Amino acid sequence: MSFLFGQMNLHLNGQKELSSHKETIKIQAPSVVKVPLVYGNIVYNLLVKEGDEVKVGTKIAERNDHFYVPVYSPVSGVVKGVEKVINSSLKPTDHISIENDGKYEVNKPLSPLDFSTASNEELVEFVKQAGIVGCGGAGFPTYVKYNNPKNIETLIINAVECEPFITADYKMIDTNMDLLVTGVRAMFKMSNAKQALVAIKKTKKDLIGKLQKAFSEYENIKVSLVPDVYPMGWERTLVYELTKKRYQKLPSEAGCIVSNATTAIALANALVNGMPITQKVVTVSGDGIKEPTNVLCFVGTPVKELVNTCGGYISENITVIDGGPMMGRSVTSDEFVITTSTNAITVLQSKKEKEIPCLRCGRCSDHCPAGLQPVRINMANKTQDIVALDKLRVNECIECGLCTFVCPSKIEVTEGVRRAKRYMALKAKK
Amino acid sequence: MKLVYKVSPNYRDSLSTQEIMIKLCLGLLVVFIASDVYYFVNYGVEFGLRAIGLLISSIISAILTEVVWCYFTKKNIKESLMASFPWVTAIILTLMCQVSVSYYALIVSTILCIFFGKLVFGGFGQNVFNPAALGRSIIAASFTSSVVNDFVTGATPTSTISSMGWFMSEATFNNAIGKFNGLFGLFLGTHSGAIGETSVLIILLVGIYLAFKNVIDYRVPVVYICTLFFTTLIIGLINGQGIWFPLFHVLTGGAMFGAVFMMTDPVTNPTVIPGRIVFAMGCAFLTVLIRINANLPEGVMYSILLMNALTPAIEKIFDCGQIQDEKKNLKYVLITLVCGILICVGMSLYKVSNTEVVSNNSAKVVALYK
Repeated sequence: MSFLFGQMNLHLNGQKELSSHKETIKIQAPSVVKVPLVYGNIVYNLLVKEGDEVKVGTKIAERNDHFYVPVYSPVSGVVKGVEKVINSSLKPTDHISIENDGKYEVNKPLSPLDFSTASNEELVEFVKQAGIVGCGGAGFPTYVKYNNPKNIETLIINAVECEPFITADYKMIDTNMDLLVTGVRAMFKMSNAKQALVAIKKTKKDLIGKLQKAFSEYENIKVSLVPDVYPMGWERTLVYELTKKRYQKLPSEAGCIVSNATTAIALANALVNGMPITQKVVTVSGDGIKEPTNVLCFVGTPVKELVNTCGGYISENITVIDGGPMMGRSVTSDEFVITTSTNAITVLQSKKEKEIPCLRCGRCSDHCPAGLQPVRINMANKTQDIVALDKLRVNECIECGLCTFVCPSKIEVTEGVRRAKRYMALKAKK
Repeated sequence: MKLVYKVSPNYRDSLSTQEIMIKLCLGLLVVFIASDVYYFVNYGVEFGLRAIGLLISSIISAILTEVVWCYFTKKNIKESLMASFPWVTAIILTLMCQVSVSYYALIVSTILCIFFGKLVFGGFGQNVFNPAALGRSIIAASFTSSVVNDFVTGATPTSTISSMGWFMSEATFNNAIGKFNGLFGLFLGTHSGAIGETSVLIILLVGIYLAFKNVIDYRVPVVYICTLFFTTLIIGLINGQGIWFPLFHVLTGGAMFGAVFMMTDPVTNPTVIPGRIVFAMGCAFLTVLIRINANLPEGVMYSILLMNALTPAIEKIFDCGQIQDEKKNLKYVLITLVCGILICVGMSLYKVSNTEVVSNNSAKVVALYK
């Protein structure tokens, strides 16, 4: 925090104790699982057809634009076809539905690989074929980051988990420490970095000791403690905190690669067991659910099943969010499914905040982790001043939601910025 | 069962604007009570009660103005009042007036400043000028003679020193300021003046509390006071004045009150930090210019109003990414600093030479007549 900047982050009441010390509940896959075939605007190519028999790990679809991501069946059974299911974009999108025969017959798509003897090229190809995507929420294909890394100084393993309520990473690390070590070492090898830092919040005291013990024998892998603030888990904030460097587009400009801890565990699972991501630990928490806890479930399970596992909703007016309360998107149906990058379902009691006029306090500008000025962006958007919006760098907003969080007048600041971004995109098309 | 759609984020800080305003009001009331105790003790019950009466009448007229406005614009009165906070303006305005101001002058200026200063601009959050400063300037422009006669407040420290031409020997200064108990007396505020502006000590303590509670941005008063101090220090050194010169400028004329309670008004200062820094610097330079080069000894209020007018322009030049354009922002801040100091120093030199020319000329005229 310097004199010219605000603090650019904020400690939030994480309420992680709601789910952090409860047993993870394991649930079986439902009779029909639905695996999404759409990611953002990208449609996956279907590789099976109606009536085909699939096993756990059968490749059922693949993404084949400028990135390659295969999709594997989480259960064994029969393909029923493609149907439209709502997802967090609130549009009905294509999902492949598979009737679960309950046998969970496995057809390992990958042969286990010893990372210490494999070459880097082999490892990256393995990550690509395993369909490992970032488990922090964005779902960016992991192999892209490690493809031909140049001048990388530091590999950062992100175990910060800065969104309130979410404890899925915490649980994953706690129960899969060996896999984490394997995954981090494999990533370290692929990255050609000089050192690896496992970043975790200072406040997660019990986990820090375990991590330090697990990594004690590896000289170049250290556990770094970061402050308990939001959005510490964002790449830019984390890279700046650990290296004091800023970058334009990609962390590699600052000599860093950032990967999520759960991604490392997924990678290790693929290396050791030859299995892609078919199950996920998902935190179901919030003030609208009866028994907040972590649930281990299969990819393609409807959220409704998870909610029922956790005792159901508390009241009549509920907001269900795909993700955490800050960045997650609220969905109007609980039919949407768990994907490979889902890590939390937040259920909140719906209450309306009373909005009053902006007092121009500038709190949003002081806290914006990207150094933007949300209040000015909102003003410029009202007059549709495209020149000012461009100067204000509206497209660099990551919609972390901190501006709305801090607004004392309870204005939907982030939504205003989103509208400005949409307006800019519309203008750019013309 | 109903699943309600809401845009993210769905998590809110508990701090609300109402809470910020309550804390600000409490801070202002602490300042008021401290000064009022001083009036009770030193001037008797009559003036102690008078200060309270002024405060209440100003608050009531401010609220009534808004109520009438809401009635004619068909707004929900209670909701509008809770989101508009007219009493803050009224309290600040009362604290800026001397206890000798007439009820009539205070009430009229309250009504005018709420109406023309705030409501016609679109209400809370839309006003360009600080309404309290506007109200005080209405009193200064129109009601200077409308004071009760039986109160001997006399000249304020600033007007005393101003009438002596600002530059003088330390002995003269100490002599002139003796009736206010010296510089330390100015710091404690044991002299008459505007109700809330006199005690730098109490304003400072309240300011630290408010900054700590995130009600005000600490940068604004810090930058203002530092700029004021160092600019007047340079001017003082060039013109052969002692350390008393900058200290006097910082301790007198509502500089501290303006810095803590008025320049930090979020509605009328820029939203971005470099902007607020430039805003505070501008206030300091204008204060110096108005005090030394103009006929108005109390420059703080006008400096705030002038900088308020520049707020949109300041925001415009800082419309950029704070991290991405850090160097550019720093450049603008430094340019303001250097230009401001040069202008202030130059103008003080001009004043000194001008005074000499005038006195030389008058000497010539006298010689001619002889």
